[in-house]
Amino acid sequence: MAVAGSAIGLGNFLRFPAKAASNGGGAFMIPYFVSLFLLGIPLMWIEWTLGRYGGGFEHGTAPGIFHSIWKKNRFIKYFGVIGIFGPLVILIYYTYIEAWTLAYSFFALTGKYASLTDQASMQSFLRGFQGIEVNQFFNGIGTAYTFFLLTFIANIWVIYYGIKGGIEKLCKIAMPVLFIFGIFLAIRVMTLGTPDPAKPAWNVLNGFGFLWNADFSALFSAKVWLEAAGQIFFTLSVGIGVILTYASYLSKGDDVVLSGLTASGTNEFAEVILGSSIIIPAAFVFFGPESMQSIAKSGVFNLGFVTMPLVLNKLPWAALFGFMWFFLLFLAGVTSSVSLAQPAVAFLEDEFDISRKKAVKILAVALFILCQPAIFFLKNGVVDELDFWGGTFFLVFFAAIETILFAWIFGMEKAWDEIHKGADMRVPKVYKFIIKYITPLFLFFILVMWLWQEWIPIIFMKNVIAPNKIFVLCTRVGLVIIFAVLAILVKISWGKKKAQEENLR
Amino acid sequence: MRLSGWIFIILSWGMIIALIVFCLIKIFTKKELK
Repeated sequence: MAVAGSAIGLGNFLRFPAKAASNGGGAFMIPYFVSLFLLGIPLMWIEWTLGRYGGGFEHGTAPGIFHSIWKKNRFIKYFGVIGIFGPLVILIYYTYIEAWTLAYSFFALTGKYASLTDQASMQSFLRGFQGIEVNQFFNGIGTAYTFFLLTFIANIWVIYYGIKGGIEKLCKIAMPVLFIFGIFLAIRVMTLGTPDPAKPAWNVLNGFGFLWNADFSALFSAKVWLEAAGQIFFTLSVGIGVILTYASYLSKGDDVVLSGLTASGTNEFAEVILGSSIIIPAAFVFFGPESMQSIAKSGVFNLGFVTMPLVLNKLPWAALFGFMWFFLLFLAGVTSSVSLAQPAVAFLEDEFDISRKKAVKILAVALFILCQPAIFFLKNGVVDELDFWGGTFFLVFFAAIETILFAWIFGMEKAWDEIHKGADMRVPKVYKFIIKYITPLFLFFILVMWLWQEWIPIIFMKNVIAPNKIFVLCTRVGLVIIFAVLAILVKISWGKKKAQEENLR
Repeated sequence: MRLSGWIFIILSWGMIIALIVFCLIKIFTKKELK
């Protein structure tokens, strides 16, 4: 339940429909399902199994888990630092974006943007809210900061009460509510029909057609295959390190095969069925086919905080539907961000033997300080930079390390037995071959292709405007410092353990 | 919506619903065994 809660978020409802619509429509589902079965589900099983295995040695995070797998290698634990660093970096900006969803649910209820009817004015509303410009809607970043504080306190409160008391309880309430909200909104969109009889082509069926009609030429583009693989990564939360931590709380008798498959299935339901039935068909009905190409390519933030409020404004009971939609995203965001905090908290608990509550307090102070640049320097590209390193680059890199460790260092025969401990169902034998050869090769292909096509210009800041370069550079220095601090903590912790072992002898 | 759209929506949704149903059956039969 907690893993499904961590995986279901903004990516399902906004990122997936935008990616599918602009990368071949229905044909996008071919590389998408290929990536799901060759990359997503195998990585789910790998992370669940590695996590549970590491939990047996009282390690809940990647440094300890990697060390349990490859004890002879004294450097492998430092690669595991990525499994704490990645989620922490994502959490820095995710908390702020989550705060926007809470703010917009409040704005919807109070009718703050109810009078806005076009993309330009809603865009201006968003920029004012983010503190990028002072306009008739907002005179500074104060409102956004207040919602950030509320969100931050809510997240820390849930983390403070732990897996059983906080996260499980939250997921037990939030997940069904989220699904009911999602189904309700999807049904509302499906029954929109043709709202403007003067424009008969602007109907909901054509809206679904815009998303699902197949453009098979897209299958010959490497970019489309990479986009599909990337979407699977983001949506299933694999390669982050979060699943490792959750799975470390399992016992040997727990079924990781079924748990991994169920978490994937739940997430796919929210993404492919609900995600494809809300924003794109609704935007098509209200803005027509001419505007849709630019809307689909406008990015997740614009879809979520510019197009969607406009669409919701056009529905009957706009205030209620607007509140429901943004509150749904907020709940999804809380479950995801609480999960992102788990590796850092578990690391402090497991490796330094400090209590959970004390670990949460340390994290809260550090996180609060780290969040500030993302809030105040958003317009200078800080969030984009954090997202690139934490949410893209290290994800694929970490997944590649995990897969090689699992299939090649741990050994496929041993790994296969470990997967099936406590499992009722058998994983099809073909996955032995897929996990050993296809998944690592697929990951290697993605790493090389992304590096070649997209990452080199980002790394060399080719698309960053001159005044922002200093902010991007400072962000990178900050990231190096965070990584170094985590690596030093790993070194101290292992040093302490070694000294304790020698004393016992 | 064109025929290709219908085919992809039915296949994709069908596959996911089948996966969910499969998982639910496994979960409930597992509970009964216990």
